[in-house]
Amino acid sequence: MDKQLDLLQGTLDMLILKAVSLGPLHGYGVLLRIQQISRDRLEIQQGSLYPALYRLEHQGWIASEWGESENNRKAKYYRLTAAGKKRLQTETDKWNRMAEMIAGILGTKREEV
Amino acid sequence: MTGWSQIRSWIRATLRRSDMETEMDAELRFHIEDYADDLVQNGVAREDAMRRARLEFGGVERAKEECREARRVNLVDNLTQDLRYAARMMHTNPGFTAVAVLTLALGIGSCTVVFSVFYNLLFNAFSARDASRLVVPALQDADNVGKADGNLEPLTLHLADLDVVREQNQVFEGVVGYITAGGIVLANDGAQQYQFYAARVTSDAFEFYAVPALLGRGVVTDDGKPGASPVFVMNSKTWKDTFKSDPGIVGKSFTVDGEPRTLVGIMPSKFQAFGPQEQIWIPVTRTSGTPRVAGEFPAEILARLKSGVSLNAASADLDLILRRLAALHPDDFPKHFTARVESATDALVGPSGGGPIFQSDIKHLLYDLLAAVMLLLLIACSNVANLLLAHASVREKEIAVRCALGATRRRLIEQLLVESSVLAVTACLLGYAFAWIGTKIIAAMLPQIMGASLGSRIGAETSLGLNLPVLLFGAGVAALTVLICGLAPALHVLRPDLQPHLTGPGNAGDGSFRHGKFRAGVVIAEIALSIVLLTGAGLMMRSFFVLTHVDLGFNPENVLLVVFLPPPSHGRTPAVQRFASPQGQLVLREVVERLEALPGVSEVAIEDTIPGYGPTRGPEITVPGATHSEEAGLLACDENFLRTLELRLTRGRWLSPEDVQTSQYVAVINKRLASDFFGDANPVGGQLKVKSFKGPTGPPQDTSFQIVGVVEDVKSVGPQQPAMPIAFLPYTVRGGFALLLKTTVKPDSLTHAVQEQVWAVDRDEIIGLSSPLKDFLQKNTYATPEFSLMISAPLAGISLALVVVGIFSVMAYSVSLQTHEIGIRMALGAQRKSILEMILAKGARLIVAGIVIGLFVSYALMRFLASQIWGVSLTDPWTFGGVVALIMLAGLGACLLPARRAASVDPMVALRYE
Repeated sequence: MDKQLDLLQGTLDMLILKAVSLGPLHGYGVLLRIQQISRDRLEIQQGSLYPALYRLEHQGWIASEWGESENNRKAKYYRLTAAGKKRLQTETDKWNRMAEMIAGILGTKREEV
Repeated sequence: MTGWSQIRSWIRATLRRSDMETEMDAELRFHIEDYADDLVQNGVAREDAMRRARLEFGGVERAKEECREARRVNLVDNLTQDLRYAARMMHTNPGFTAVAVLTLALGIGSCTVVFSVFYNLLFNAFSARDASRLVVPALQDADNVGKADGNLEPLTLHLADLDVVREQNQVFEGVVGYITAGGIVLANDGAQQYQFYAARVTSDAFEFYAVPALLGRGVVTDDGKPGASPVFVMNSKTWKDTFKSDPGIVGKSFTVDGEPRTLVGIMPSKFQAFGPQEQIWIPVTRTSGTPRVAGEFPAEILARLKSGVSLNAASADLDLILRRLAALHPDDFPKHFTARVESATDALVGPSGGGPIFQSDIKHLLYDLLAAVMLLLLIACSNVANLLLAHASVREKEIAVRCALGATRRRLIEQLLVESSVLAVTACLLGYAFAWIGTKIIAAMLPQIMGASLGSRIGAETSLGLNLPVLLFGAGVAALTVLICGLAPALHVLRPDLQPHLTGPGNAGDGSFRHGKFRAGVVIAEIALSIVLLTGAGLMMRSFFVLTHVDLGFNPENVLLVVFLPPPSHGRTPAVQRFASPQGQLVLREVVERLEALPGVSEVAIEDTIPGYGPTRGPEITVPGATHSEEAGLLACDENFLRTLELRLTRGRWLSPEDVQTSQYVAVINKRLASDFFGDANPVGGQLKVKSFKGPTGPPQDTSFQIVGVVEDVKSVGPQQPAMPIAFLPYTVRGGFALLLKTTVKPDSLTHAVQEQVWAVDRDEIIGLSSPLKDFLQKNTYATPEFSLMISAPLAGISLALVVVGIFSVMAYSVSLQTHEIGIRMALGAQRKSILEMILAKGARLIVAGIVIGLFVSYALMRFLASQIWGVSLTDPWTFGGVVALIMLAGLGACLLPARRAASVDPMVALRYE
């Protein structure tokens, strides 16, 4: 089986919010952080990362600021806003409920029906 | 909150576009370089690392575009691009653009004109403060519901009773009264004598209405206090016409109705609040609570609802008060009644406006016209949609290429909608120009038709213009057209397969069978809609023709009617009695002699009614030996009456000069009366018994008249009602107060000369009315249908023109698609004639289908016109036949040019063409 899973539709936004909730990150940093947390099991299209970041910033869930990277380059850092924090919370709850439900359904045994 | 931040982010991104671009560049570059650095650290060679980093990142430009999309900055970009595109499209297809814009402009313009009339008459008819809450209290006589005169009658109250309503009601913010009855007065400024229509108003009336005076001031409450110096106020028309707009007359003293009064103000032209034709207003002097004055005329009432009070609540409240009043003065009220408070607009243009004989339901008419103009707009829209669709088919290849190159469907639809928006905005502006001209024309003709001089005050305070609500409506209509017109071609784009257009011959003809059908459907719908409009207008036209060609029994052409009113110096003796007295007869005879001597006057007759609208049903009559009696109208006149009105004598003789001079009890009866009592027998020589006949003097008593002749029926309740039984009597036995002048010149040119001659005989004489007889018919009977015709006929004309354009464009387009096919047919030996026939048959199929559907729809819809149509069946075969023939002819005419173009196709050219 493939070591990398394809990303479910719409979950990228949630992952980005989670990633920047742990501390401000630049775009590449977001990518690395997600890969790190997922222990390299998730493949993210690099090109699709930035439109997602721009969309989230447009919604007001993350905010950006220029700063210096570890190797002294100018980089744009994203951080979670208050609205983004709330959003992440609701998304997480929703996801958990969903996952629980689906797991429940898939785990149903014959005698339980 | 996110909405806000989105807008902020959009504005920032749009305004600081270049900043965003450089930041985006920097950010992506940083990503790739950092990634490359990481790769180098993992042991990849530097140049190799950069290449791999770029490769794994994917399309940088695409990512950027998606980022821009996320920020919605493309919106402005796309829009400017689309606008530029649309402008280029319009510029390169001037014919298409002109037809589309003109068609839409006609549709939008017509809508705007009709809406201007609709809005300004129904919602903006009064210049008063808070005009929407103005109401007119009215009474419904419960015993008369459903009868011809069973309509709501405006409530009139004596001023003392008005005080009661004012004090006891809970629903009105203000209640004022005005008395117009018997309201013609003589006025004299020392140099010259004038006669004015005057209304006496309660002194709070002008402050209630709250329209500032043009010059000086209106009536104020203090003018009504006993002892206040007597004043009056004048309307602007009289000031302009009679006093040449002389500002110096304000403050001048006049003798009005025998009393010195100061003119304190001129009202603006948009003020005609108290009485339809009143020229001056005089405040009533009285203190509230004064008891009833004997012989005082009751006042008409205008009130303003407190805000938030409904008409029903007001009606209920008023009903209680009136019942208490009716218990005190039972003679003033019908036996069983309900009080109804009507909005002032309804009182003006609603079904009850105009009274029983002069009924005109303008409100209903306005809604009908609005519906008609919406149909017209639909026709215009379908025309333009068809044009755009044909245009879109031609552009199919272009669109297919753009799709293949990655344009999203959404983007293409946006572009097409922008194109139709540009068309619509241009058309909207042009439509406003049309509407401006249209409203000017209607505004100029409205007073001429509705004539404020006689009862109808429609339009007196209305200015038909393009005010803000009207302009907004026009813009709304334009926006609607974008949706309707733009949608069809936009849906066309949504078709899934592009392949045929890219590989095909570049001519969409063969592939567009489905859309050919769709376009044909649109044309059929268009024809059907225009059938509805044309039959509606046709019925109105027929009805108007029938109405104006009703046999009145007399000839109203070149007749001037002069009615005398009792002057004050004669103690208000009714004119009927005065002119029957020996002294009055002398005055009348001298006036008649002087008028007969006027150049341009060929006959003068004395009589006592407005021919066509009188006499109303009078006393019971019967004949000896008859078992029944009936109410008949009595018309008092002299020997000249027959000649003056050109009545047609069928039996016996007319009244002789001796009959009149010696007051003989003889009568000429009309055919209806003769047949009611004598059947086919000859009534001449018989007797006519009139019960309680009221002569000029003495108590009423039963009287016999000898019948000397019979005339053809004469209309007496307006042209629309059947003729009533009438007896013509010598005016010397009953009294007369009106003159009819048969003229050889235009009758209204004589009014001034007539007044001079009358005043030369008696300076105190008041001419209550001096008007061509034809004007009565015009204003009382023809005005409303003429008004509707004036608006609906151009609408129908425009719709016909649009349909011709619609059929033409569809046929021309389909011929251009068939060029190849026609070429093959001709190469195989088809004759020009058969090609011509083929195209015409194709057109005829569309037209016939449209006509059939249109006839069904018209048949179903025409009943809504019932209140506007008189004397013609709603399914009048002549109208329907005429409309069908007209559409058929016009439609085939529109097919002819494309058909001839098809027939003249050169097969060689057509086959090589591709």
